[in-house]
Amino acid sequence: MGRSIKKGPYIDEKLFRRIRQMSETDTKRTVKSYARRSVIPPEFVGFTVAVHNGNRFIPVYITERMVGHKLGEFSPTRTFRGHSGRKKKEEKRH
Amino acid sequence: MARIAGIDLPDNKTILYALPHISGIGHFSARRILDAVGIELNRKVKDLNEEEIASIRKEIDSNYKVEGGLRADISANIKRYIEIGSYRGLRHRAGLPVRGQRTRTNARTRKGPRRTSGTIKKKS
Repeated sequence: MGRSIKKGPYIDEKLFRRIRQMSETDTKRTVKSYARRSVIPPEFVGFTVAVHNGNRFIPVYITERMVGHKLGEFSPTRTFRGHSGRKKKEEKRH
Repeated sequence: MARIAGIDLPDNKTILYALPHISGIGHFSARRILDAVGIELNRKVKDLNEEEIASIRKEIDSNYKVEGGLRADISANIKRYIEIGSYRGLRHRAGLPVRGQRTRTNARTRKGPRRTSGTIKKKS
């Protein structure tokens, strides 16, 4: 089920304050954040947020088209290195 | 023969069941369209006059996304997911289920036919 429209999108307050402060003072620094569940509001465009993926912070440069998505979508939590198989075994032999 | 949105509707069906032949129109929107233009649901397509067909056509053209236009929108959305590097884009690119379904088993619709990778014996 989707989120109630009455509440509006969920945006991490702390992160939002920091970005607003930066845009007021015209500084641009990467902000580290754990707020994967936060929606990206239009105010974030042009900033870089380092989004935690459970292991490390992945820098995400926010573009206009990312607005409305959530930060976590851009910081994958799993690394898939491929299945074992014929190709891999051949590589090992060499 | 009634042509709406580039599709020929089957003459012998009632209009309620003919409209879903247009991709983008299901049972729900078919009913809604007919309510909006005031045509009874159980009329056959061949019994509708030109005016009624035109009114349906107008309703669909102005309020619904159908056929090629709809498909173009969908693939544009998928392209956007891929370009912004979102998780959904990654899944589309990998040809795996996008909405969190399991992939340990099943997921054959997205993954296609099984490819078993057994060890192949070396020819001596």
